[in-house]
Amino acid sequence: MTENGHYGWRKGDRVVPAYALTQGRTRTVGQNLPLEALVTATELAVQNLPTLQVERRAIVRMSMRPTSVVEIGAALHVPAGVARVLVSDLANAGFLTVHLPQSTDAAGGPSQEILGRLLDGLRSR
Amino acid sequence: MDFAPARGGQRSAPRTPQGLLPLKILVAGGFGVGKTTFVGSLSEIPPLSTEQEMTELSVGIDDAAAVPDKTTTTVAMDFGRITVDEQLILYLFGAPGQNRFWFMWDELARGAVGAVVLVDVRRVDDSFAAIDYFEDRRLPFAVALNQFPETPDFPMSSVRDALAIQPDTPLIRMDARDPRSSLDTLVLLVEHAIARSAS
Repeated sequence: MTENGHYGWRKGDRVVPAYALTQGRTRTVGQNLPLEALVTATELAVQNLPTLQVERRAIVRMSMRPTSVVEIGAALHVPAGVARVLVSDLANAGFLTVHLPQSTDAAGGPSQEILGRLLDGLRSR
Repeated sequence: MDFAPARGGQRSAPRTPQGLLPLKILVAGGFGVGKTTFVGSLSEIPPLSTEQEMTELSVGIDDAAAVPDKTTTTVAMDFGRITVDEQLILYLFGAPGQNRFWFMWDELARGAVGAVVLVDVRRVDDSFAAIDYFEDRRLPFAVALNQFPETPDFPMSSVRDALAIQPDTPLIRMDARDPRSSLDTLVLLVEHAIARSAS
């Protein structure tokens, strides 16, 4: 399924329920991973790619470039909570590096410096 | 720590840019006001949809085996992506507009740059909930009047009155189908967010 070079799975491709992929866990781990949290594959993941279960292999392949939890969920056709757990497991195993947003405080948005860079980036498009 | 070299024929992990940072902007508004169109006109990836859980589930191993995942109530949410520079990646989230999905907004709003509230001037009532929400949480937002072919040409001042928004809240007439127009709207929002964070 992943050998055709993209991850456009259809729901019918899956033979086990999405939550079985995570042994039924939804919120016990990874609950603090925001949807936009970015992940990148580590060297260790690339070396161990053939040993990984198919969904986890797909995630590592996607993460060869910076990819978010929400993109992973959409590509695998699993709910965001399942993507969080899969990503957390891979990160705990040393296969993914997680890049969190700057601030996750209740009222805290990005710093003025970051907002300035965002503005410059958008204006130059 | 020793790292074995990658075996022959395998790609090695690309160099990860230092200081990778995700950002997000919410796109809110009533049903059919153009949230998906707006996200699609800006996103560098085809707009995708994610499923978000409706409730905090604690599914045990046995339950997961017995209950197919389709019984998990989820709501679809559109999102898109803009790579701003080597380090900053901006995500746009089309926030579900109906009141019963507001449980999602608190998570979405946390740490966000701000929000774009899309408005159809023929149905301004549909945008009040979103405007109230962002005002309550003091999240910077810009109001974007999405122009439909049959949209009447109300003066901006009367639209501002009808929406009852603060004088400093940016208001723009735009076309969500037009990437340039959508980008201008984002720029307006970020300028506003910077002004707000400076004050």
